[in-house]
Amino acid sequence: MTYCYRKLYLSTQYMKIIFIILGMLLMSQNLLADISSEENKKVQASQFTKVVADYKLPEVNVVRQDGKKLSFLKELNDGRPVILNFVFISCSAICPMLSHILSKVETQLTKDGQKFHLITISIDPENDTPSALTVYAKKFDAGVNWDFYTSTREASLTIQKAFKAFRGDKMNHASLIFLRPFAGKSWVRLEGFMSPDDVVAEYNAMLKTQ
Amino acid sequence: MSSKIVDSLNIDLKSLDRKSKRGLFSVLLVTMISLVGVEISAASPNPDEVEIGRKIYMEGVLPSGELLKGVRQGAVQVEGAQAACETCHRRSGMGSLEGNFAVPPITGRFLFANEDDRPLALVDTRQPKDITRAHKPYAESTLSKAIREGVDVDGKDMNLLMPRYALNDNEVKAVTTYLRQLSSELAPGVGNDSLHFATIITQNVKPEKSDVMVKMLKAAFGQRNSSQQTYSGRMRMPLDLIPRQLRKWELSVWELKGEPETWAEQLSEYYRREPVFAVISGVSNGTWSPVSKFCQQEKIPCLLPSVALPPDEPSFYSLYYSKGVALEASVLANHLRAKDKNKPRRIVQIYRDDEVGRGAVKVLSEALKDSSVKVENRIFPEKLSENLKNIFKGLSSNDTVMLWLKPTDLVAVNKENHKQFPRVIYVSGFLAEEDYGFVSKEWKEHVRVVYPYELGEKRRKNIAGMQQWLKSWSIPLVDQVFQSEVFFDVLLLTDLSSQMIDNFYRDYIVERAEDMLGIGSNFSAYPHLSLSRGQRFASKGAYIGRFGSDGKLVADSEWIVPE
Ligand code: HEC
Repeated sequence: MTYCYRKLYLSTQYMKIIFIILGMLLMSQNLLADISSEENKKVQASQFTKVVADYKLPEVNVVRQDGKKLSFLKELNDGRPVILNFVFISCSAICPMLSHILSKVETQLTKDGQKFHLITISIDPENDTPSALTVYAKKFDAGVNWDFYTSTREASLTIQKAFKAFRGDKMNHASLIFLRPFAGKSWVRLEGFMSPDDVVAEYNAMLKTQ
Repeated sequence: MSSKIVDSLNIDLKSLDRKSKRGLFSVLLVTMISLVGVEISAASPNPDEVEIGRKIYMEGVLPSGELLKGVRQGAVQVEGAQAACETCHRRSGMGSLEGNFAVPPITGRFLFANEDDRPLALVDTRQPKDITRAHKPYAESTLSKAIREGVDVDGKDMNLLMPRYALNDNEVKAVTTYLRQLSSELAPGVGNDSLHFATIITQNVKPEKSDVMVKMLKAAFGQRNSSQQTYSGRMRMPLDLIPRQLRKWELSVWELKGEPETWAEQLSEYYRREPVFAVISGVSNGTWSPVSKFCQQEKIPCLLPSVALPPDEPSFYSLYYSKGVALEASVLANHLRAKDKNKPRRIVQIYRDDEVGRGAVKVLSEALKDSSVKVENRIFPEKLSENLKNIFKGLSSNDTVMLWLKPTDLVAVNKENHKQFPRVIYVSGFLAEEDYGFVSKEWKEHVRVVYPYELGEKRRKNIAGMQQWLKSWSIPLVDQVFQSEVFFDVLLLTDLSSQMIDNFYRDYIVERAEDMLGIGSNFSAYPHLSLSRGQRFASKGAYIGRFGSDGKLVADSEWIVPE
């Protein structure tokens, strides 16, 4: 973990601002003693870092859950703000956690009448076929604004590397969510434990600063 | 366990020498009472309680039938199967690595270990120095705090990946009982200074193949056994620095004779005589089903045998390189479907009426069911004779065939059919076993091989390591693909066992293989091997190959991964 952070800090060309949101971690234990356990959990929920970064994204093809072969760039640049993450279906803890969060985020943003596109990319594409992704989408109640993509192994690796999300193999996947208001703008990179509310807040903050 | 207790008793006696006789007596008495207590609680955990614990741990179901619920990140709840402890701590209880988060082992052995008997585990293999840290032994009260409040034995808040569970006292107690018995004893085949494996050879396998497999395994085992003795001298990997029991690897060769219906009995007999920790490699020309059933029943990991058609039955303990001819059939279907307007009107499958042939034919027929390609199946005659003509009746030079046949049969077909033959002749890369002698000059343009391995320069590079190794052990190269599978298998086994330290539990080795297989350099004949939780086939695609002008097989398609 320290390893990837160090790398982030060093590669200044990819980042403009660093916010480190330290919730619980920095608060002293004494302070916490007075907080009820419910609040305690809420504060804890904010253990994530936020980095604004530019990524050079590759011209590769992806296959959507309905089997349609599409250009990755076109999918990203269809005019809607994008919320993007990486998963693999057989991943047991981190990916379901992220998918749960995105499911809640989709519900909230839809309720708020927002236009957006949730994009989930498989990092185990040979296993995660379109039909397997369709089943996965259903499991997390994915609505019309949330698409899942598979690809060749090479294309998936290329995309992960472009987002600096590749850590050597699929075992090393991290808890990452990327946000971008529209094509040509920088990405907001969230890493760590975030709640759906955190993501919605970050999303709204991002749109506001445009 | 009991010898440890005796040891500690000896120490007690020695240190007590100076004390009064009365003191000695009372200590002995206390020790004996606690011994009895330990024996009772270890020997007979309440089976009902274990079952309640198992349901919570494995399935996320409470005794009331309601789903287990955990809270994480304030708003996000997990429940049922997703909340089950097994999701993260795994079936063996030995933990796993979830992205950047180490999930620690939580078996009784690890949770309640005393200061002087502290087991070690390596959760994050990227950080061999970071072996699971010794922590204070949990008590039932601190354990319940860990599960319900997410506070560990040192009073530290655990990270948010570990959910906080709403379990009542009885449920926590049941989980605790389950954890106490989970992975509590080393598996059969694991001795104090030995680790026993078997490999399996079924009938009708070419002797040069089975011989070379046994030679390779024995050489690799010998190499490993001699290098292990030098841990203290030459340490090559940080992993080797972790203190562990030295165990000599032993190999048994189990040959199965006669009808497959009798194999189960033969396997049981072999196993009764010499229990093994796992089955490594193995080879069959036809069915593998009895072996897979046996492995599942006895809970023996069967790691990567070389078989043409893995049984189509779910099995936790059997891992395979691929689905064999079934994979080829799906790839071919995919390839034909993608041809759009150039799709053949029909495809004629010619096959031997055995398990492998029938299996392949069935998969392709089903995969093309709702397409415009008509599938027709013809059985290759049992004995080569004039009735070979029958299977080509009505076939013209406009036709497409798929020959699910082995080289000897292919030669016969080519001889019969060298003048007027179908336009496209697909053959199986698995069954051809790299023997393309049947491809006559006339056929060359027409043959396409469904080829589940890597081709060209990449292939050459990947298997160079194996060739070097064979040379250094003076082992002949008989079958490149097959031998590279055996080679990969021993490398995997070496890695896994070294990562497992002394925790030789069967579920654990399967979990490690799921997580680690294919990570690192690729020494195999496949483009890419990988497994994951629940995945049982490490390679998932194939090329369609054709013969280049130099007679070499080249890719005529992308790497095709079927739906
Ligand atoms: C989603 C993943 C996940 C699930 C599900 C899960 N755990 Fe954990 N567990 C963890 C992680 C991660 C840790 C380590 C946390 C830390 O060290 O900060 C942990 C730690 C623990 C510990 C402390 C171990 C130690 O060495 O101190 C116990 C005990 C434990 N879990 C029990 C359970 C039980 C019992 C269940 C099921 C009722 C369960 N866990 C389900 C992820 C999980």
